[in-house]
Formats: sequence, C-alpha cells, structure tokens
Amino acid sequence: MSGAGEACLQLGELTVEFAGDEAIIHGPSTGGEEREVECEPTALVAWTRFDDLGRYRPLRGARTMRHDWRTRCPKERLEETLDAVYPLALHHITDWKNGKLRLVGLDEVLSRQSGRYELSSKLAQEARDAAAEVLCARCVKVPVWRGERPERDDIPCPEPCSVLVSLCREAAIWEEGLPEPVEPEASVQFADFETAGNEIREAYLRARLAATSDKGGS
Amino acid sequence: MSKGILLVAHGSHLHANSSLPVYEHARRLRERGLYDEVRTGFWKEEPSLSRALEGCDADDVTVVPVFISSGYFTEKVIPREMGLNGRVTQIDGKTVRYANPIGAHPALARVILQRAEEAGATGEEALAVLGHGTPRNPQSERNVFQQAEYVAATGRFPEVTTVFIDQEPNMRDVFSLVKEETVVMVPLFVADGWHVGETIPEDMALDGVETRRGGRKLRYAGAVGTHPSMVDVIEELVEEAAKW
Repeated sequence: MSGAGEACLQLGELTVEFAGDEAIIHGPSTGGEEREVECEPTALVAWTRFDDLGRYRPLRGARTMRHDWRTRCPKERLEETLDAVYPLALHHITDWKNGKLRLVGLDEVLSRQSGRYELSSKLAQEARDAAAEVLCARCVKVPVWRGERPERDDIPCPEPCSVLVSLCREAAIWEEGLPEPVEPEASVQFADFETAGNEIREAYLRARLAATSDKGGS
Repeated sequence: MSKGILLVAHGSHLHANSSLPVYEHARRLRERGLYDEVRTGFWKEEPSLSRALEGCDADDVTVVPVFISSGYFTEKVIPREMGLNGRVTQIDGKTVRYANPIGAHPALARVILQRAEEAGATGEEALAVLGHGTPRNPQSERNVFQQAEYVAATGRFPEVTTVFIDQEPNMRDVFSLVKEETVVMVPLFVADGWHVGETIPEDMALDGVETRRGGRKLRYAGAVGTHPSMVDVIEELVEEAAKW
C-alpha cells in the first residue's frame, strides 16, 4: 500500500486510510503498483464486479476482488463509495452493533422459494450445512444467520444470499446420486454450478463424498 | 419529507451485463438530482430484494421494477421478498410505493420509436417489437403486445407487428408477417445481454445492424431497456406513484 495516511480501517478486502479531507480506499495488494480507479459509485461497481482474471463476481463479498488498485473520495462520500463495493455492509455492521440486525436463516429462505428454486427446499439439513460451509468460506462476510459471531469490523451477513440458494438448488439435484468430483477449472464462472469444474461445485461434492464415506466406514 | 427511488431488477449470477443498465439508470437519475437518494436491488445480485429497503434513508421510497413483463416477478417474487402488500406499504416508518413495471408504461413506446430511428428507420418500414415470451406464462406477452399497440397508435409506421423468441409468432417468421420490404426489429429487453447480444443474432443468423434476405432487409435495433431516455419513463412511473 502506498501513501502516508492518518489512520486505517479494514472492510472486507478493502483498506481505507485518511489523508486530510480525503479517504483513500485500497483493494487487496500483491505489492505491485496500484491502478487509480474512479470513485463514482457506478464506475466502482463496474470495476469490482470482476476478478483479476476478468471473471464476473456475482457474490460481492467473494474473496476474489481485483488486486492492486485504489480510489480516492471526499471523506463525506466514503459511506456511499464503500456501499458500491459491499452493498449494505456498513448498515449491517451498525445494526449488528446496536442489536438491531434482522436475521433470517437458510430454512426460512429456502422455504419461501418458488418456481425454479422451489427444488432447493428439498435439500436435507446436512447437505444444507455443507453448501453453506463451502460457499460462506469463500466470502468475507460472517454468516451471523447461522450463529457465527463477527469480530470488530467484520461484515455480518444476516441472511443467506441468492448464490447460496442457487447452490442449494443444484445440490438437491446432485444429492439424487452424487457425481464424482473433477478438478476445478479456472475458466468456469464462480456461480456456474451446473458446469463440472466449477470450484464450489467440486468442493461441495468432495465434502459430501467424504462425509458419506465416513458414515459408511464408521 | 425526503424522497427516494429504489430500482429493482432481476440481475444474474452468470451474465454481468444483465444489470448494467440498471446501474446506469440509477447514475443518470442521481445526476438529475431530483431525488434525495437513488438505490438498486436485485433478485440475483446484491443488495438482495429482501434487504434492499434497509439501505434507503428516505421517508418516501418508490420501488420501480425494471422488468418488461408484468407477472411472476412483479406480482409474486418482488412483493414477497420486499414485504409489499399493495401499491403503498408502510415499512419501518417509511412509505414504500410500488410502481408499475417499466414494460407496462405507455411512455416506453417513445423509447421503442427512438431505438427504431437509431437503427435507421425513416417511417417507411415495418416495425417489429420483439419480446421474450414464454408458453409457460401467458402474462409474459401482455406488455409486448400492449407496447406494439402504443407504437401503432402513433401512426409513425405503416405496419407494426409483434414477434417473440420463445413463442408464436416467432421472430424467425418476421418477414412473413409484414408486407414492407424493410423490417426494423426492436428488442423489448431490459439489457443488451445474452439474448439481445447472442441468442437472437445467432438464431436469426443476423449479419449485424442490417441483414439482407431474398431482396428484403432486416434492421436490428439496440435493446430498449439500455436507452438513456429510459430514465424519463422511470420518472413518469415515480410521479404517478407519488399521487397514490
């Protein structure tokens, strides 16, 4: 990170430092030179929606943010700027600290699905847990909806996201006869769970096959 | 009393372009400065529909569905996820107005005409409004036919027809549906995403903006939903909802 800031705060993969009336927001660093990015919210959304390989990041908290970039904004616009990267994160941190964050669990979210996603509600409890463990481990947010507790300025996640619902839908299909996992392929998109080689699909299948073989051996 | 707009849309886990127009509309609305806040919410992206209102500080928020069709999403999913129980709902001290979807508003016909003109239409061609449609949901077609009627009522084109990707009358039959030598086809879609950018050009074997077939021409316009003047349609929807 460059610059001689007054103080720092961390939000997810972002580091914020303050210099006079300005806030400087840094993306994760590899130690390389930082690219300057426009702080206008729509421009920042466009920048942070893709990872280093240009893959789309539908899960904004995914630990796949582009490296080596920074943006500058007036201090009074910091909240709006951070919200463009992590929508509602600051609201949820405040509500959690004040004991006002509304929590909704996975069972409730899956039970209200209809249409294409109604199938997700068929997923058994241990498979739901496996899906959440695999996906949430790849996100900077702390899933307080499943009882985890954030530390300091961790971002609490109050409700399972649509990506997890989508994973549960696919998992309900896989559970009818677990396919053999294959090697993950970087070219497969983050949430393309229907395609073999998707990293999350393969991690889920490996976890479920391991759990099944443990049961069989015990 | 502070006023806000919350644009809600489908979004996508796989196609980043699908929600780009929504962010652009939000940016343009902010630039106009007529509202205290303009935010977004998505079914498949963040912030989710179920949490999006938490980010709204305004006392009076109008939720505008950036959807072409009225039906499953606008009548079932959005109200369920956002806790809306009618045109106006009081939620946590806020007045939340639920506007009609953009696809139902008569002003959208103006944008269809703009897209046709940008594709080279002079008013001597046939105009085909292209919708998605689906045999699984008869409501899906309603706004597409309605918009074609609004366009026809302007009298700007000698023929106006309606075609679909996924139901009859199919887009591949468009030349057989009209007599004019040249057809201008305007996709009534929210984004220049997968359908407008890929499946339609592939399925119809389009050669770009202009395709020639057996002495006739097809001019393919940009998606209606990405046009900058969509913000005028959104503002009209918000103004109407403000009277409820």
